[in-house]
Amino acid sequence: MSQQLDMQGQALLEQYRECLPQLKELEQVVSAMISQALGQQHLEVAAIEHRIKTEESFIGKLERKGDKYHDISDITDLLGFRIITFYSDDVDKVAAIVKQLLEVDWSNSVDKRKLHQLTSFGYNSLHYICRLKEGSFPFEVQMRTALQHAWSAIEHDLGYKGNVKLLPDFRRQFSRLAGMLELIDNEFNRLRSDITDYRRQVQSLVGLGRLDEVFLTVDSYKSYLSLHPFDRLNQRIAAVNQAELVPASVTNYLSVLEHFGLETLGDLQKFIDYNSDDAYQLALSQLAITDLDILSESVGLQNLCYVHVLKNGGGRMGLKYVLDSVNGPHPGNAILADSIYETARHLPFMAINT
Amino acid sequence: MKTKFKEENNDYVMYFEGRLDTAAAPQTEKDMSPLLDCEGHDVILDCSKLEYISSSGLRIFLSVLKTAKPLGSRVYIRGINDALRSVFAITGFNNLFEFK
Repeated sequence: MSQQLDMQGQALLEQYRECLPQLKELEQVVSAMISQALGQQHLEVAAIEHRIKTEESFIGKLERKGDKYHDISDITDLLGFRIITFYSDDVDKVAAIVKQLLEVDWSNSVDKRKLHQLTSFGYNSLHYICRLKEGSFPFEVQMRTALQHAWSAIEHDLGYKGNVKLLPDFRRQFSRLAGMLELIDNEFNRLRSDITDYRRQVQSLVGLGRLDEVFLTVDSYKSYLSLHPFDRLNQRIAAVNQAELVPASVTNYLSVLEHFGLETLGDLQKFIDYNSDDAYQLALSQLAITDLDILSESVGLQNLCYVHVLKNGGGRMGLKYVLDSVNGPHPGNAILADSIYETARHLPFMAINT
Repeated sequence: MKTKFKEENNDYVMYFEGRLDTAAAPQTEKDMSPLLDCEGHDVILDCSKLEYISSSGLRIFLSVLKTAKPLGSRVYIRGINDALRSVFAITGFNNLFEFK
């Protein structure tokens, strides 16, 4: 036992040791509750941290302000949770979930975001003192953004405590950084909101068939794929050997399509329309001499890319580029490129280049 | 058609030797059952001595992929010869698997 503690402190320390197993159980229960509730709301967070105050830290607290506490339940941070969000808007969402999930002791909870004066500085964090609804030890739930967390961690590293007087120059530097972090948090919120608006707009334009107005990006490409633009060609190719088509992602072809200079979804649609018959002929030439009756749904786009390369004079090197880009560089890709070139050499579309 | 299962450096490796055609497929599928329990291990299908693969063989490889992916395991194909590489390319299966 610590020699520094008075009788009351020693009694509290005894209580701390006795309640440790209960705290450990509570930690597991609450942690699972929070994770499950956030998951159900599809709210992705940067991290959920939790800890039980160590005996060393507990004794330190008693030595500093032990006369404040009469019972172990007066100490509300024996068990602490920290939910770190990506966006500041999500701090409020997490708080709403915590309020619904747990009993919040409002008299001891602090919204540091509302404490600041116009000229004050510091990180904006939300601290709730909670209990399980059916009753439990009190515990603390802190909610903050990743940037607020970074502020707090650096503040801790610098050994600064909020109630310590600072040199004016340091105070000014802290203020500047706090303001900057708040600004960045707000900008990330705005960026997320702008991206969401853009995605909705893209979906709407794709739905309306106004493809020329939509730039080819990861988002617009995914939205376009929901129209199943390669299905017709895939089914035509599959019919050669009455093959089964297996679902496959074609998102890895985006870089190749960009390399071809396609800038809008309209360009992509023209690329499909212009090359589909020749892509079918190329696939037919490869498949008809086999009895392969299972194909991946990437087969149509793959042959469209080969045909585009060959029609534009890309030759074997161009084919190898496609294979390297989509499947990763491999010495075998050069041999494959040769084989595709040899198959295509006698097809009518190659006459354009000869 | 011969197969051999080995655990190497925490990877589950299945070695194939011969022709994986329709006739060999049912027994090969049975031989590959240790791969079904691959959680925590990546899977390597070593085709260094595989001479031929039919659609039935591709279906077996695909079923390994469908089992392994949800378990967080990656499936690699190792050592395929040019003829087999061509089969994977023609069918678009080269977009489904990772190659070593």
